[in-house]
This record gives sequence, C-alpha cells and structure tokens, in this order.
Amino acid sequence: MIERIENAIQITVLLICAGISIFKTAKYRSRTWTNAFFFFGSLALGDIYWFVCLIFYGKTPQISVVSDLSWYASYIFLYLILTRTAPPEETGKAGFLPWLGPVFTVSMALFFMTYGEILGNIICASLMGLLLFSSIRRLKDHKRCRKELFLAVMIFIFCMIEYGLWLSSCFWSSDTLANPYYWFDFLLTVCFVILVPAIKKAVEL
Amino acid sequence: MNYIENTYICLAAPLLLTILCLRREGRRSLIFVLAGMTACLLSAYVSTYLTGIMGIDLAAASYEISPVVEEVMKSLPILFFLLVFEPDKKVAIGCSLMIAVGFATFENVCFLTSYGTSELLNLVIRGFGTGAMHVVCGMIIALGLFFLWDQVWLRVVGVFALLCFVITFHAIFNIFVNQSGIVFWIGSVIPLTAVFVYLLFFRRKVRLS
Repeated sequence: MIERIENAIQITVLLICAGISIFKTAKYRSRTWTNAFFFFGSLALGDIYWFVCLIFYGKTPQISVVSDLSWYASYIFLYLILTRTAPPEETGKAGFLPWLGPVFTVSMALFFMTYGEILGNIICASLMGLLLFSSIRRLKDHKRCRKELFLAVMIFIFCMIEYGLWLSSCFWSSDTLANPYYWFDFLLTVCFVILVPAIKKAVEL
Repeated sequence: MNYIENTYICLAAPLLLTILCLRREGRRSLIFVLAGMTACLLSAYVSTYLTGIMGIDLAAASYEISPVVEEVMKSLPILFFLLVFEPDKKVAIGCSLMIAVGFATFENVCFLTSYGTSELLNLVIRGFGTGAMHVVCGMIIALGLFFLWDQVWLRVVGVFALLCFVITFHAIFNIFVNQSGIVFWIGSVIPLTAVFVYLLFFRRKVRLS
C-alpha cells in the first residue's frame, strides 16, 4: 500500500515537472527544456508502467525491459541537458577527480551483479558513470562554471540518491515506512522538484 | 487460426501494383505505407518467437515484448531511408508518418480478423486510438531525428533515448487497451488528445531555437 501511495505521489510530481517543461518549450522554443520534458516524461512513464501493472495485474512485470529502457532514456536525457548547458570553457583536461565517478559506478555495478542481471548493471554503470563524470568535472571547475553549478550539484545529488535507492532495495527489510528504500524514494521526488529551478537557472544563462 | 501473411498479401497486392503505376511523392508515400505494414507483419513473427523462448504468457507479452519489438521494427525503414538516401527533413518526417499509418492499419486489420467486427463503437475508438498512438510515436522519433540535436553523436544517442521513451508509452497504451470499459476508453483517448494538442498549440510554435 505504501509503495502505491509513494508511487502515485512521485508520478504526480513528475507529470507536473514534465508539464512545466513542455510549457517552457512552447514559450521559449528551447531545446534544453525539450530534453527536460523527455527526462521527466521518461521517468514518469517508467513509474506509470510499474504502477498500472500493479493496479491491473496485481504484480510487477515478469521481465522489466520496458521500465528499464525508460530509466536509461531518462539518464541519457539528463546527460544531454548537461551537454547543452556546458560552458564553452569546459573543453580542457578533466583531471583525476571526475574519474572517481565511473570508478564508483563500476564498483557498485560489480556489487549489484551479485543480486541481479549483468547487462542492465553494465548499462546503468556506464550511464551513471557518464553523469557523475560530467557533474564532478563541472563542480571541480566551479570558479569558471559558477553559473551552471546548481544543475551540476543537483545531478550529483540525483545520482547519489539513485544509488542509495538501489542499495537499500538489495537489503529489503519490510513494507513499512521504516524501510530506508522509501526515504530515498521520497528524497528522489524532492530532487525532481528542485531540478526544475536548477535547469531554469542553467538555461537562462 | 489466423494466417496473417495471407491477409498481408491481400492488402499488399493492390498497393504494390499502385506503387508500380505512380511516380514521385505518391509512389514514395505508398512504399512507406507498405513498409509499415511489412514491419507490422515481421513484428508479429519476432514477438511470437520471443514470447515462446522467454516463456511469457500472451497477455503479458503484449505489454512486455510487443512494444519493444514493434517500435524497433517501425524505426528500421526510416533509418535505412535516412542513411542511404539522405532525404530532406520534410520528406523524411512525412515518410516516418506513412510508416506509422501502414503499421496501424495492418495492426487494426489483424485485430478485426481475430476479434470480429460486431461492436462498432469500440472499433471506432480502437481504430482512432491505435492510429493516433502510432502517429504520436512516429512524430516523437521524427522530432528527435530532425530538430533536437545538431551533432551526429548526440542525435544517435538522443534518438535511442526517444525510442526507449516511445516504447514505454506504447507499453502503457497496450496495458490500457487490453482492459475493458472506462480504462479502455481512457487508454484510447490519451494518444488522440496528444495529437489534437499538437495540432492546436505546437504545430506552428515548435521551431526550436
């Protein structure tokens, strides 16, 4: 029951964020906002897919290809938002620090492979590694990329919350609010809300 | 037992003859309608095969396997056209919509031969709903191919992401239209609404900077 309520709240928030993005797309004819619409839309569709499967069939899908694809799509769109809002100075050497992102995602993928499938974990690690690499790189260059910093911080937080969510799902305790999985999912919902002003700030520059 | 390849031949024969008689835009449009129908036929084969080897029941396959196979198969003709003939934007967008139309038409014919033609109202809703869903998916892919990204690598990555997006949209649509009553109606109306919203508000506005 808690899962359904929490899912419904997240879907509502994502649909509102997607609505704001499509409104901004129509108003400013901005490609970044179109990417944002597809980012929120992909996540919303993935959640809706799980939700309607639970409602109509009383179970989650036997194979999770469709919802996995929607989440991969959302990570790609988030990366495309980062690419579109990249400052022109962001072309030099990345240095050592950003590589910690891919190292972290690969080690986590190795851990998750003991619980789940191989291919899905490799794809997730690659996409998350790319997101973490780009966001840490921008955080590292915060003196030069001060205006785009908010978005980079939010994307870094988004990735960390996602990993918290996946890690807590490996140690599933109960279907109550005491389960850390629900805390992370709630944090993720809050993160989506804050991502809208972060994208706005990056686009307006 | 339905022999959809027989149905396909019956529908494709007049189109094929007309393609031979027509020239330029008319011929191109009909070729892509036929390509859409062929993609639908091949999707049915591939979906049935994958359903068999994965051991999934047919109801679950309609929202777990079919959307993935159908959207990938539908995108193949337009990708081939783009890579080989390098057409301009307007032509390619028209062709991608023609594929969607051919696909939806053949899918509806298969539905009619399987479930009969007795309930007109449901068939009207299903016809418009399925048609609109395939057109919406085609439009989204076309948007990614021609308007959203300038660099080739961004376009490739972006179109893959859009393909994932439309697969999920298609899967949710399939879940809704597999139900009965109000849920079936809601499922059919969602893509129709998307088409009308696009026609009313975005058709002229969406020329992205």
